[in-house]
Amino acid sequence: MTTLVETETLDLAARFPGSAAADTRPGYSDWIVNKDKLVEVATTLRDEFGYDLLSHVTGVDYFPDKMEVVYEAFKTTGGPGVLFKVQVPRVDPIEVPSVTPIWPGAEFQEREIWDLYGIKFTNHPDLRRILMWEGFEGHPLRKDWHEPFYEEDFKPLKSRWPDGKYVSSEDKNPYKDNLQFPQNFDPEKVKIDGEAPLYDTLQKYTTVDGGIKTDHIIVNMGPQHPSTHGVFRAAVVLDGETIVSLKPVMGYLHRNHEKIGERNTFLQNMPYTDRLDYFNSMSNNWGYSLAVEKLMNIKVAERAEYLRVIMAELSRIQNHLILIGMLLNDLGAYFTPALYAFEERELILDIFEATSGTRMMCNYHRFGGVSRDLPEGVLEKIRGLVEDRLPRKADEFDRLLTENEIFISRMKGVKVMDAEDAVKYSITGPVLRAAGVPYDVRRAQPYGIYDRFDFDVALRHNGDLYDNYLIRLDEIRQSIRILQQAVKQMPEGPINSQKPQYQVRVPAGEAYGRIEAPKGELGYYVISTGKPNPWRYHVRAPSFINITALEKMCVGKKIADFVVILGVLDIVLGELDR
Amino acid sequence: MDLALWIEFIIKGFILIFAVLTGFAYLTLYERRALARIQTRIGPNRAGPQGFFQPVADAVKLIFKEELTPAKADKVLFVLAPIMTVVPAMILAAVIPLGTQFTLPFLNRPVTLYVSDINVGVLYLTAIASIAVYGIVLAGWSSNNKYAMLGGLRSSAQMISYELSLGLCFVIAILLGNSMSLLDIVEAQKSVWFVVIQPVGALIFMVTTLAEVNRAPFDMPEAEQELAAGYHSEYSGMKFALFFMAEYEKMIVISMIAATLFFGGFREFWFLQGTVFSVDHFWWLGPIYLLLKVVVLLFLMIWVRATWPRIRYDRLMAFGWKVLLPLSLALVFITALGILLANQFGAIYIWTIPVLSILAGLIAVLLVNMSLRRKVAHA
Repeated sequence: MTTLVETETLDLAARFPGSAAADTRPGYSDWIVNKDKLVEVATTLRDEFGYDLLSHVTGVDYFPDKMEVVYEAFKTTGGPGVLFKVQVPRVDPIEVPSVTPIWPGAEFQEREIWDLYGIKFTNHPDLRRILMWEGFEGHPLRKDWHEPFYEEDFKPLKSRWPDGKYVSSEDKNPYKDNLQFPQNFDPEKVKIDGEAPLYDTLQKYTTVDGGIKTDHIIVNMGPQHPSTHGVFRAAVVLDGETIVSLKPVMGYLHRNHEKIGERNTFLQNMPYTDRLDYFNSMSNNWGYSLAVEKLMNIKVAERAEYLRVIMAELSRIQNHLILIGMLLNDLGAYFTPALYAFEERELILDIFEATSGTRMMCNYHRFGGVSRDLPEGVLEKIRGLVEDRLPRKADEFDRLLTENEIFISRMKGVKVMDAEDAVKYSITGPVLRAAGVPYDVRRAQPYGIYDRFDFDVALRHNGDLYDNYLIRLDEIRQSIRILQQAVKQMPEGPINSQKPQYQVRVPAGEAYGRIEAPKGELGYYVISTGKPNPWRYHVRAPSFINITALEKMCVGKKIADFVVILGVLDIVLGELDR
Repeated sequence: MDLALWIEFIIKGFILIFAVLTGFAYLTLYERRALARIQTRIGPNRAGPQGFFQPVADAVKLIFKEELTPAKADKVLFVLAPIMTVVPAMILAAVIPLGTQFTLPFLNRPVTLYVSDINVGVLYLTAIASIAVYGIVLAGWSSNNKYAMLGGLRSSAQMISYELSLGLCFVIAILLGNSMSLLDIVEAQKSVWFVVIQPVGALIFMVTTLAEVNRAPFDMPEAEQELAAGYHSEYSGMKFALFFMAEYEKMIVISMIAATLFFGGFREFWFLQGTVFSVDHFWWLGPIYLLLKVVVLLFLMIWVRATWPRIRYDRLMAFGWKVLLPLSLALVFITALGILLANQFGAIYIWTIPVLSILAGLIAVLLVNMSLRRKVAHA
């Protein structure tokens, strides 16, 4: 297990005397920065110290006295990151300068913080709600905001446990239905036009050319649209077939995962993480267990480490298989590639089922290990897959698709991102590596036992759609390499270093656990106060952050390209909307 | 005109429409089963043996489905559009010869196996085929929906661009057959099919027909992933079924046309000439041979749909105007030249046509390949 090494050369307190100080709270690390100096500190970090990749921005509500905004930046060359925080009094209006001009990748995350915490970011280009709808009352992640049917802050709820009484939430609501109104609320009088602010941000045009007036056309792709991979919506301004301006709209699947996570006990969160990126529950579990294990400061059982690697890499392979299959579907090939891809994916899901009990919502990890060992014969199946079927599948896709003329003419030369912009926009995962930045958390800051395996970070340089496709094939091949080694080396032994327990004791402090999920850097920022429930549980969802650059990627391209770009970005709405 | 002729027309028309409609129903089943085989699935096999009654079940479902009309749609055109699309698809089949003729027993009346053999048959085909685009454009426009509108616009642009090359392929067949009557063209292929003389022309014909009937990889107007469903986004129930019907009927009819123009129509395979399997021997073999050819051509369309992604719209237009049009112009020239040479210096010179046209085709492929490479190098 890796722990955050104290940054040896970086001393912000010395560099900014009086406006940056070490965070001395027990269990916390790194720096607290004065709000007025934030932009200056951030610029210095990026330009002088080389922390070019802003990993995540999030808010924490230290009820009742202060709010905190947490930033973490990493170097794309690898190594530990730098965590710095801004603390502001918890009195509205809460204002913090925006870092979007420095790291454009912060744009949506700051909008999210505004939405969920009510922290205003001055100098932000487009500060609107993002996950909740316009006209929503309050900021739901604040500790003093209570949802309908609110009972108490932490689970297990007294009404349910230990007596197990059945209480219907509807009976407790004065309105007898699933509604709760603000005071003096009159549904007749309220008129909210949630769409107007959205359409206002779109860049429109009207030209008169030789007496012919040309006008823009706004098309909404989604929320119900065959190629948005879920209830995602993009408002697009079109000039003929060319995209002039685009704004993603999300939150249709929002369930305030993080608020649920703060209500739950630590262990109860594990199955919830499955539902984020529902294709890759195995890797979702890992990020979370990594963060909590860091807090608990425990070691993971040796065999469990191998099981985690095997499951995560299998998960990556099946994720990329779906991606390639559905990408071809987005290109208009009628389901044949998708079904070919699903063939091997089913076999991988069979292994998940045999091991964890379910095919998709695996709930496999436990703090210190995993929940079950491999049943008899499954290791042989995995060996058969990684030695025989999966390499053949990768070759088959290579043979069928890579040289197809139509495929090439659609994919090659349609540039998604260049390396510089990709880093600026905090893009991680295959999309970043396809642009030519060899940044892979498995190598940049190895977690688990990835430092023991021999594999390459897949890298492509053009950053076009074609490279984004090829890199998936490369990654499948690298994952197969890792799997082949892992299957050979896996030792016998216990699968958990801890005793099985329903309630874990987590010391107070903060921890950020990050893994290289198939879609990018998946991180969990967890704050414990020593109680059975996390005080803060934040998910750094790669889908959500990668989508920040969607407009940048799409402008000037054709509407048919938009579909494909969305396809290679590999978003999953469960994770995007949380 | 005598009454008997009218009755004959009407009966033959009914039979033809019935045949095309049944063909449409079973083409959907054929396509679904074939797609399923290619995709390593089974496909519909529950309704009746091997899913034989699946089309019936589909029809029942579509008929009883609620039909919605968008509030702000242009009601008249909204209803008219599917009809305008489906009617041309059906009446196209009128001039296609299904066989030679036979004598009706008892009445002793010769009956031809086509509704009519008009002397400008090929012209009739191009004229009627172009009408269908109106239905699609009007459907897109009258739905008052942006996806539908974009789909309709794409469709009109695409069909117009590809119709030029399609027309030139017709010209090739006319030149080779030395007639505009489809019956004459078929008879001219008695000994050698035009696909042998003009293989590249036949290939272009098949490519452009894919565009003409909006099939993959040219299914721009209804590009599901981009435009939800394109021009028929707002249609439901039977009106939607009419669009569907039009597409599949056009597939059948255009395969019949392709078979007629380049694959010997209802004629037997050339090596069966003079045997007992010749159409001249048994008149009823004509429709069977045509059906066989149509089934094979339809399978090609299904195969293409199952395997290839869609071409991007701008590339599609570029391909139509910059590759197919010049190439088919060249082919017309080559064909005319070959026929001239054959007339002047002897029949053997007809074989300059396939040699030159394959050469032209290869040059075109090479140029396309080079431009693709260049694009890649720039990227």
